[in-house]
Amino acid sequence: MLIKEREEQQVKEKNTIKSLFARSEITVILATTTLFIIFSLFSDSFLSGYNLFNISRTAAIYIFIALGQAMVVIVGGMNLSLGQIGGLTVVISGYCMHVMGLPPLVAIVAGLIVGCLSGFINGFVMTKLKLNSFVVTLATSFIFTGLINGISKGYPYTEIPKSFTFLGREGFLGIPLLLWFALITLIIVGYIFKYTVTGRRVLATGGNIEAAKMSGINTNNTVVLANIASGFFAAVAGLLWISRTGSAQPSTGGDWMVISFAVAVIGGTALKGGVINVIGILFSSFLIVMVKNGLVMVDANIYFEQAYLGAILLLAVSLDSINNIMKAYKARKDLKLAQQKVTQSI
Amino acid sequence: MLEIKNITKVFPGVKALDNVSLTFKRGEIHALMGENGAGKSTLMKIITGIYQAELGEILLDGKVLKNKSFQDAVNHSINMVSQEIQVIPQATIAENIVLDRIGQFKKKGIVDWKAVNEVAAKYLKMVGLDISPTEKIGDLTAAQKQLIQIAKTLSSNASYILMDEPTSSLTKFEADNLIKIVKQLKEQNVCVIFVSHKIEEVIELCDKVSVLRDGKYVGTKDCKELSRNDIVKMMIGRDEADKYLGRLNIEDKIVLEVKGLSKYGQFNNINFNLKKGEILGFYGLVGSGRTELAKLLMGVDSFDEGKVFIHGKEAKITSISDSLYRYGLGYITENRKEEGLILDDSVLNNFSISIWHKLRNKFGKINLKEENTIATSMIDKMKVKTPTPKTSVGSLSGGNQQKVSIGKWLTAGCDILIIDEPTVGVDVGAKEYIHELIWKLAKEEGKSIILISSDMPELITLSRRILVFKEFKITGEVVGLNEKKYGYQEVSDRIGAYM
Repeated sequence: MLIKEREEQQVKEKNTIKSLFARSEITVILATTTLFIIFSLFSDSFLSGYNLFNISRTAAIYIFIALGQAMVVIVGGMNLSLGQIGGLTVVISGYCMHVMGLPPLVAIVAGLIVGCLSGFINGFVMTKLKLNSFVVTLATSFIFTGLINGISKGYPYTEIPKSFTFLGREGFLGIPLLLWFALITLIIVGYIFKYTVTGRRVLATGGNIEAAKMSGINTNNTVVLANIASGFFAAVAGLLWISRTGSAQPSTGGDWMVISFAVAVIGGTALKGGVINVIGILFSSFLIVMVKNGLVMVDANIYFEQAYLGAILLLAVSLDSINNIMKAYKARKDLKLAQQKVTQSI
Repeated sequence: MLEIKNITKVFPGVKALDNVSLTFKRGEIHALMGENGAGKSTLMKIITGIYQAELGEILLDGKVLKNKSFQDAVNHSINMVSQEIQVIPQATIAENIVLDRIGQFKKKGIVDWKAVNEVAAKYLKMVGLDISPTEKIGDLTAAQKQLIQIAKTLSSNASYILMDEPTSSLTKFEADNLIKIVKQLKEQNVCVIFVSHKIEEVIELCDKVSVLRDGKYVGTKDCKELSRNDIVKMMIGRDEADKYLGRLNIEDKIVLEVKGLSKYGQFNNINFNLKKGEILGFYGLVGSGRTELAKLLMGVDSFDEGKVFIHGKEAKITSISDSLYRYGLGYITENRKEEGLILDDSVLNNFSISIWHKLRNKFGKINLKEENTIATSMIDKMKVKTPTPKTSVGSLSGGNQQKVSIGKWLTAGCDILIIDEPTVGVDVGAKEYIHELIWKLAKEEGKSIILISSDMPELITLSRRILVFKEFKITGEVVGLNEKKYGYQEVSDRIGAYM
């Protein structure tokens, strides 16, 4: 009886604690705030209006990069060609404006089509040939790189109209337009996954693809859709990057791989799929930008930047496993205690 | 002497072993029995170091044994023949046989293949296989692979050999040969721990039988003093179910009819029907075609010839969403963890997944309030023990998970249900509840049910008609259960005659 009572009590305790920590964004919000305070204390220029504006602009673009990765991670996949899709979008849009002299709107539409099409190709190959996302996107990342280099010959496109760079450089109420745009997008994404059948089905596919299939969900469709969404967000991020820097650099996207995983995973997107957390992504994008920006501010050696990012990503993905190991240890201890009590009472 | 002392093993949501103590002696054939989910496999995995127990210890000849891995167990002269086939298909037979101790065949740092092949040949002969040890294992039959696993275990010269249902994939002839080998091992003072569901086999072969029930140790008895019924009583905790639930109001209306269904290489000309309010049992061994047929009907797989009629009209089913949403046909899988539930997701979502599209307003927004109401009422109806509807299904016990797995199709409004092995891995209390539930679905709600089960008492108690499957054919039909024309023993004998 004792064990049973104890178990019940444990279940109760667990639930109150669980409900608190189930809001997994709490951790990332705390980490972001802490880091913000530390950098404010150690650097004078960190809190300047100019720097904060800049951080927000970069974070906004990171949100789109992370969403691009999150879309496929939630169906249990990954997109290693994310940065290359972004790069290809940049080159195509740049080409449209600089070489062909087309209006920005046409360039944007062309860029988005390229992004969605690339994502569709990834998803189509995965589902039709039953290949995993790792090999498919690894291969297509090289294809896209080749296209980027072939079309641009390595040169940036610099003749970008003012109307295009407006979004990337201006602000509203002191907050960059880019961040407003990102916030609205996050709200829409959050809404889709909570309130629409399509969003729910995509999450269910990632939660357990076999169970989703057996529940009448066409999982091939959801996987293709997720990949199109991934390409779409990569394209948006690429276009925003042009609008921010004022030129279309073929090298865009080269560092997106670690950023996309870091922001998405630290933001609470489960690597095994089925879970997305838009509030988490919002904060973790700031966390990563601050790490990069703050390191410059405190005069850390910038050449080691990738190592810091990688270490943070590793820590983030390890947290779940560490948590599980601790749980197993605690369960064993509790059982031992319970058993001892039983023997004593006898 | 191998002593198991006060072993407790906990998995999330279920106590797989609860304070189990047992002793195995050299030179005896000791059967370990229990229903599915009783904890036999878990206990074997703890003895062989694959799992670690939370509590308790294992003593080998009085000394505490701390097996941290399977290799540790092998080093202490304990080995196991697992139920699943675990071979490396790309490697040769000889390589597979000596795999775990290939280091012993080193000669100047490189493997002495001649010695390896000689050893392998010797043990192949012992298990009655006439194949060259240098052949690749990939193309062999399941039974041959199983014999090679046995040869592998024998070649380790272990003093304690655990066999987890070794005869389940063997033919009668091969099984007889295995029994001969086990007897020889006993003469060589080896202890064989033998897990089997075949009670007759156990009574004939074993010296002692120990029984587990729901993770607890029930007792150990000498086989000589036991009858089949005694063992069953120990296993299920009561006399073999000769429970008569009463009559179902089966209507003459045929809700599902299968005519001349064939799938090349599997089924040839399958015919049967299901009446409204009926529970139709599918009996057969695993792999006899029951689940495969269910999946054909559900549209998971497509068939080559034949027709399926639902409510008298020909049904064109090409996908699960067809069977579910157009024809009200639901399939409750035998693998609730792999195919039935999204374990990390909430109870709520697992109940409502099949009706999301019905809860949309004209703008496509899901009505969360309505969703919550439906899920909560299902939790009450199915008596799911969960702290909140938002709790993840994975943290519930097996029985409660199964309730969700069944309830999901009731929310979807299916009126024909195919229920596949509903009580595998659930405890006795939940099992009884699930039986009651299936019965009520047919009796009170007029659902038509196909029940697939290897659990004979379960099948005979619930079904009103039974089809027997063997090698993708329906070999026989047992009728008259609704009128209770025959007792349990008679029905089970008649099923046995078709097997």
